[in-house]
Amino acid sequence: MVKLAEYSRTATFAWSHDRIPSLVTGTVSGTVDANFSSESKLELWSLLAADASEPTLSLAVDAKFNDLDWSRDDKIIAGALDNGVVELFSKTEDSLKSEGSFARHNGSVKTVSFNSKQNNVLASGGSKGEIFIWDLNTCLKNSKDYTPLTPGNATTPIDDVSSLAWNQSLAHVFASAGSTSYASIWDLKAKKEVIHLSYASPNTGLKPQLSVVEWHPANSTRVATATGSDSEPLILVWDLRNANTPLQVLAKGHTKGILSLDWCKQDSQLLLSSGRDNTIVLWNPEKAEELTQFPTRGNWCFKTKFAPEAPDLFASASFDNKIQVQTLQNLTNTFDQEQTATKQQESETDFWNHVSLEESNEKPQVMHLQAPAWYKSKSPAAQWAFGGKLVHITADGKGVIITKPTISGLEENKVLDA
Amino acid sequence: MPTIANAHNDLIHDAVLDYYGKRLATCSSDKTIKIFEVDGENHKLVETLVGHEGPVWRVDWAHPKFGTILASCSYDGKVLIWKEENGRWAQIAVHAVHSASVNSVQWAPHEYGALLLAASSDGKVSVVEFKDNGTIAPLVIDAHAIGVNSGSWAPSIIQEGPGAQQIRRFVTGGADNLVKVWKYNQEAHTFVLEESLEGHSDWVRDVAWSPSILLRSYIASVSQDRTCIIWSQEHTGGPWKKTLLQQNKFPDVLWRASWSLSGNILALSGGDNKITLWKEDLQGKWEPAGEVQE
Repeated sequence: MVKLAEYSRTATFAWSHDRIPSLVTGTVSGTVDANFSSESKLELWSLLAADASEPTLSLAVDAKFNDLDWSRDDKIIAGALDNGVVELFSKTEDSLKSEGSFARHNGSVKTVSFNSKQNNVLASGGSKGEIFIWDLNTCLKNSKDYTPLTPGNATTPIDDVSSLAWNQSLAHVFASAGSTSYASIWDLKAKKEVIHLSYASPNTGLKPQLSVVEWHPANSTRVATATGSDSEPLILVWDLRNANTPLQVLAKGHTKGILSLDWCKQDSQLLLSSGRDNTIVLWNPEKAEELTQFPTRGNWCFKTKFAPEAPDLFASASFDNKIQVQTLQNLTNTFDQEQTATKQQESETDFWNHVSLEESNEKPQVMHLQAPAWYKSKSPAAQWAFGGKLVHITADGKGVIITKPTISGLEENKVLDA
Repeated sequence: MPTIANAHNDLIHDAVLDYYGKRLATCSSDKTIKIFEVDGENHKLVETLVGHEGPVWRVDWAHPKFGTILASCSYDGKVLIWKEENGRWAQIAVHAVHSASVNSVQWAPHEYGALLLAASSDGKVSVVEFKDNGTIAPLVIDAHAIGVNSGSWAPSIIQEGPGAQQIRRFVTGGADNLVKVWKYNQEAHTFVLEESLEGHSDWVRDVAWSPSILLRSYIASVSQDRTCIIWSQEHTGGPWKKTLLQQNKFPDVLWRASWSLSGNILALSGGDNKITLWKEDLQGKWEPAGEVQE
């Protein structure tokens, strides 16, 4: 695969919002590493660093992480810690620094999410249905006495909140999901849960757990949820104006419960999912089409995210002790074919001698080749030709015009080009 | 001058006239390439080339001394070579060394032979020579880590002095916001980095090396950051001078840059659907030379 980097950590992560992004990782809770270490670290990795075995920056943290998020202005990194603490960090040129830690949750903190419009607003979700809304401007000044807000009353039973997502256009609306069969839509202006979603399987009649929520990048009434059910792993796309039935059901991509979703901010026709079947799938959620199935990992893939400002890349974290950064596209080329041809010439002995040494060269399986929106030029693509002619594409993008522009004050140009 | 409406069913990404201005090649998100014969105000569709499995981004005509040959590149990761003989078009070669979208193709100055430069989102550029007896092993070069958006050849120049030789150079623009100049190294049998030019703050969408060999070398680079930079070099090996085409940012993303064949007029295509023309004044400042209206 076109693996840009691989970090040998069992960790959760968050991307920075740069064109050449960095990644912060935090030792994930619920696992024991190879050295039986209980240490937890927040680490920073530069994508283009020559050596991917050591982080650029590192900071010891009191507890392990369940989740990380990085504010859109890249100023604050928020960590959801297993010991009930929400900890805020900042990054300088040469260090990672804790800006404050807040033991407000009664159980472990499962997830943190920065508001998509206001960089100072953070939501955190924990066990026992606890959701807190934080104003960083206030809490960083007064870390002792700060009490976060609660979003108001729930109308559905809420247990562990392991997924939170802010609406991409309305700063006061967010969604939560976790261990129950309900996903909730909250309105901070109304101070309550305003809509809930649940899905009764037509096959079993049962309502599966809705484990993840993710908003459409532009359409404020559209939201996706995924089921955590191993028997019926589905991604459901809803329009909230009809919250009874999903608009689209994305099935047959995963074989076990889904743990992560990411709807691409630059192209609403791209959505990444990953889960307990150790796989990552790229979808067109608007056509309910599976686009690409990425090579299977060694264990559950619990977080998969596009690099927010370089969406040709995504990172995925798995309990196989690796965070991988790879490209969306990784087609088979002639070099791969030559390699396969060479392998077929090998003797049986050579084959078995080589087999354990080789890195997996498995390619993603492409079901539909769909070019991302950011590839498509939206310009007249003007190009000069002989004779001072200029060829360009029409405004509707579907026609071509050949002109011979007159250049002000440059008559001799015609002579040269003729 | 002709207007060809609804040439394709989906967005057209490139349209190029051949050497004689008689044939127009267009390529589109509909995965096809179309060849039109153009004569005065008239045009006629002569062929639709089908073979790519994804949107076709760019096409380029080879010099006529090699025959009627067209190269095309696509999101499917392939460069296809097409040839017309006795009125029949056929796909004659596949260049598939890339593992992601190939975003630009350009034939080298004809003095070098049938040599093609391809730039890919897999971070590499490839240079491949098509010989009469088939394809030789291509050179594949790691160019821009997060993807290469465009590549453009320098015009053919001969280094003066004893043992005069061609200086083969090209420029690339990438998703790492950089513009890089590459030069062929005889000993290494490959292209090596000559200069990495920093100036853009976002993806470089297109680079174009001026075909003029009269004065200095000029490279235009356009970017997602809504600027165009003119890079100029007095003599090979000298420093590259950076000039912002205009101080103010353009109203939208700049996608394409093209030099007139004499090398002194630059055409820029923007996301606002405008084409602006530029020329250098005697003081070395760039000034508007018109706008192309539909």
